[in-house]
Amino acid sequence: MVNIELKNISKSFGSVQANQDINIKVNSGEILGLLGENGAGKSTLMNILCGLYRPDEGKIIINQKETHFDNPGDAIKSGVGMVHQHFMLVPIFTVTENVILGNEKTGNLNYLKIKDSEKKVSEISEKYSLLVNPKEITERLSVGAQQRVEIIKVLFRSAELIIFDEPTAVLTPQEVKELFKIMNALKKSGKAIIFITHKLHEVREVCDKISILRAGMIVGEVDPKKVSNKELANLMVGRPVNLSLERKKNKTGKTILEVDNLSVLNENREIALNQISFNVKEGEIVGIAGVQGNGQTELVESITGLRNFVAGNVSYFEKKMEYITPREIHKLGIRHIPEDRQKSGVIANFTVSENKILNDYYQKPFSSNYIMSWGDVERVSETVVKNFDIRTPSITTLTQNLSGGNQQKLVVGRELSNKVDFLIASQPTRGIDVGSIEYIHKQLIETRNNGKGILLISTELDEILTLSDRILVLFEGKIIKEFSSNASTEEIGLAMAGQS
Amino acid sequence: MKLSYKLFGAFLASVLISLSSTAFAFTACQVTDIGGVDDKGFNATSWKGVQDAVAKHGIGSKLLESNAETDYVPNLNSFVSEGCDIIVSVGFLMGEATANAAKENPESKFAIVDFAYDPTIPNVMGLIYNTDEAAFLAGYLAAGVSKTGIVGTFGGINIPPVTIFMDGFVAGVNHYNKTKGTNVSVLGWDPESKEGLFTNNFSSLDDGRAFAQNLYDEGADIVMPVAGPVGLGSAALASELGTDSLKIIGVDVDQYVLDTKNQSVYLTTVEKGMDATVLGAIESAKNGSFKGGVYVGTLANNGVRIAPYHDLSSSVSNGLNNEIKKLRSSIINGFLSVKN
Amino acid sequence: MRDYLKKKIISENFDFEEILLIPILATLLALIIGCLFLLATGETFENILVAFTNLFIGSFGSLNAISETCTAATPLIFAALGIALAFRAGLFNIGAEGQIIIGGMAAVIIGFSIDFLPIWLHLPLALLFGAIFGALYAAIAGWLKATTGAHEVISTIMLNLIALRLLDYFLRLPVIQKEGRNDPISKSVLETAQLPQILSFIEPQLRLHSGFILMLVAVVLVYWLLFHTTIGFEFRSTGSNPNAAQYAGIKASLTIILVMGIAGALAGLAGSNQIMGVLGRATPGFSASIGFDAIAVALLGRSHPIGVLFAGLLFGALIAGGRLMQVKAGVSIDLITIIQALIIVFIAAPLLVRNAVPWAFKTKDKS
Repeated sequence: MVNIELKNISKSFGSVQANQDINIKVNSGEILGLLGENGAGKSTLMNILCGLYRPDEGKIIINQKETHFDNPGDAIKSGVGMVHQHFMLVPIFTVTENVILGNEKTGNLNYLKIKDSEKKVSEISEKYSLLVNPKEITERLSVGAQQRVEIIKVLFRSAELIIFDEPTAVLTPQEVKELFKIMNALKKSGKAIIFITHKLHEVREVCDKISILRAGMIVGEVDPKKVSNKELANLMVGRPVNLSLERKKNKTGKTILEVDNLSVLNENREIALNQISFNVKEGEIVGIAGVQGNGQTELVESITGLRNFVAGNVSYFEKKMEYITPREIHKLGIRHIPEDRQKSGVIANFTVSENKILNDYYQKPFSSNYIMSWGDVERVSETVVKNFDIRTPSITTLTQNLSGGNQQKLVVGRELSNKVDFLIASQPTRGIDVGSIEYIHKQLIETRNNGKGILLISTELDEILTLSDRILVLFEGKIIKEFSSNASTEEIGLAMAGQS
Repeated sequence: MKLSYKLFGAFLASVLISLSSTAFAFTACQVTDIGGVDDKGFNATSWKGVQDAVAKHGIGSKLLESNAETDYVPNLNSFVSEGCDIIVSVGFLMGEATANAAKENPESKFAIVDFAYDPTIPNVMGLIYNTDEAAFLAGYLAAGVSKTGIVGTFGGINIPPVTIFMDGFVAGVNHYNKTKGTNVSVLGWDPESKEGLFTNNFSSLDDGRAFAQNLYDEGADIVMPVAGPVGLGSAALASELGTDSLKIIGVDVDQYVLDTKNQSVYLTTVEKGMDATVLGAIESAKNGSFKGGVYVGTLANNGVRIAPYHDLSSSVSNGLNNEIKKLRSSIINGFLSVKN
Repeated sequence: MRDYLKKKIISENFDFEEILLIPILATLLALIIGCLFLLATGETFENILVAFTNLFIGSFGSLNAISETCTAATPLIFAALGIALAFRAGLFNIGAEGQIIIGGMAAVIIGFSIDFLPIWLHLPLALLFGAIFGALYAAIAGWLKATTGAHEVISTIMLNLIALRLLDYFLRLPVIQKEGRNDPISKSVLETAQLPQILSFIEPQLRLHSGFILMLVAVVLVYWLLFHTTIGFEFRSTGSNPNAAQYAGIKASLTIILVMGIAGALAGLAGSNQIMGVLGRATPGFSASIGFDAIAVALLGRSHPIGVLFAGLLFGALIAGGRLMQVKAGVSIDLITIIQALIIVFIAAPLLVRNAVPWAFKTKDKS
């Protein structure tokens, strides 16, 4: 039995108040949902609970005893464990090796007692129905199974409080259901659980109580049984949010993009896309659904001139595109929201305005004869910041100091403030707050309504369903099924798992 | 609080001391070349001359080491503005810088090791050495001691103060061949074409090892490195191989005394009496007899000599030793030319 | 509008602690540890004070001291500007030493071989050749990286060795070697190719030459290139996030060759500067490892042209002041090398500085 209480926790970084006077409490056999937008202070709070940060003020009370964590080791000893969003696993290790990493049981001469550990892993795995073979090599496991390894890891260290940090982001709908079963089993066996997410229906489905964090403060504690998605969203964003988008019927026009039997190799020279064909017309959003790593990246890169293809054709307004550079792509009016804004969307240590001009710095009015005209850059950036609701202290703030949502709005703003005929939006709302998601979705719909074409690639099924006029499911490099916009989650989920 | 006052006091005192530090009536100053003062070679020996003067006459001394060629001019200028009574610059490579400094500061007195100006400069005393006389003896010795009939040499940079050693060495070997009818050959230097083996630096011990190894591989069992501290690397190799396989002839100053780690490998050293000549230059400046021009160290005035054989004296037969003594006096008396 | 923008850039993105405080504290800490070294080698406390007082007097205490500081700093800053520029584009140019040698060689050849031009043509021509040959030499490494992916660290190190041997070879060629000398030394550059001294009208021994002014111009030009041209924008994009730059249509290969070329031109100017302003001729050691010290200067200056200027002046001051330190206190000039090395250790490991003087920092460690 355990009960954990955070009392009056405050933490600031320089002038930024990340957490202010926060009180939360979670008991054995209870799942607390911690709901908040990116940048609301969830990570800071959890890092305090994990011993990574020390609070400026406030107490951590475990079983009525005040506790101090000087480092993550202290927190683990006190029974706090975290299942990270990004798995901390060594791919070539077996499940057991990953579980015991840093906690190895050894005999004489440092002999690794792997058999003992394997037995223990099996026990844990059976007890909580975390189905996984202890001897399997980790990289051969599915994403869901890898997550189960992470959970076993935490249980192996006899955690009583388990924190799940955005655990559903990488899972298919079916895997999410599995996870919720596991969480309920853990709860029944007396563990306390904190579930961090920004997906509203998930907290309502699985949590016993919900705390909502906004701007570093707890703004609401609600009972999931008595609250609607809309109310939750309002609390989280701090203003009324329109969740269901008005997507009027739209007349489609000419074919913009025609992909014909396209085959592409990945870095390891394996087939990443296997003879896929589809098209996108003016005035429609075509959604590509699928679990990550099924060829989405390669598809986008081959359309945007970043990757050569081995067979097939890509035509743009009936003109073949082959050996075309990213810059020529831009000039054709093709805009691209990259799937990973940190990696390829923005330059973190550039200012907002520098990122704004990343694609067209070489053109007037941003420069002439190789000389930058920062005044014009500033002027245009101010407009984009205003038009696309980018929350930044100023346009000369470094982009790394912006929240994920605002960084993403900056990318969207950059792409849509130029001439757009065709937009490739890859994971346009990954890891960002509801307010920004709402905003970006509106922008995409508006672009579509203006008669432009959009290819939307997303692993978030909800997003695909909300926005797309047609849905294609990509599985292991093939389009295995096409759906209309009113298909059910269930149907598409099965296709995403490869069952057509 | 008290402590900080004390500290401040000490600081002030030190500043005052440093600003009025010309406590000595006469100060001799030395600028080393890039080999540094601890080169166990000509910089060290010249500095020993300065230190001898300090011990003997109670004068002051100052030292500036050059890290790079670009330091020569500013180092000399520093000493000029320090008001040094004589500035000793060490090495042929400082020739130009010293000449310029001397011309710009006709009031200051300079002495330079290993450089003779033509025409002479009134306030510079060039200290040069007929090293070939001593190297001749070393070459004769090496030819007599060698078992393989091959000896070797290499230099630091192809400049006269270096190659004069090699010239003398080759001449000595040739003289041995002529007298004894043998055919001992010298690797590493051709006095006719003025070409040979050069490391092109005076600092890399690794080069010293590699060059000696090459000569050894070609059959040489005695090697004379003329490259300052570079030779220390050759000595280390000889000590690993054993003196039966490889012996070293040192240069500048008796390496048996300086290179205590590998002293047993030195057959002899071709010594330049730089300490004595530097001391002499300082004394002349002090007693007012300083005169610009050239001072030449020879076997006759003991400005050059070969060092004792020390640990390896057993490998030098009495006969050979006597021949060398005779050669020395014939060179001094002018009966024998050491030129090739 | 532009002034407003500049003000904002300075006020918001000028990370005071990162850009100013850490280098300053690193320098102070290095000096303190230098003291401890001296104490450990048996110097008296008093003599150490003498040493450090003279380190300062010898670098800034008189007009001559300042002249010497600036003279020593000039080539360092030239080369460090090139290295900083390459850093900004994500390239680690270890090859400044080789570029200095090649640039210097080109300058010396133009400097002694052309005897019919007036100074206002001959001088710029020699400088231009120094820059061009430095640039071409550096561009080899850039070209190798762009076409074959060869890592620039490896290729520039190899090019340094090649440059060193080429220098040996060239200095022995009869057309280059000074008449009457057997050792590798070049002919002297003619008067018309010597950078005029700029303070000699006050006192003749003040060595500061017009290369210093050229260097200041170069600082401004590099700043302008980096922050006010599309080329600089491409350099910085590629250096900060090559992926994003590629997505934005910037050609990495072109950028790499161009930035190496400019870096090489600056290093070549450093070499020409030594030949035409200080030495007057080339010898095997004329580069004096300026190209390596410049890496330290670029690091200390945080790869910012203005930072490089001050870091270079600091290193110049250490060189010039070290001289007086050895003269007055008899402390070996090797101490300066130790201090320079310590500064770099502290710069490379800012956490050391933060932990050594935690009270100096407002923001805690960001990692």
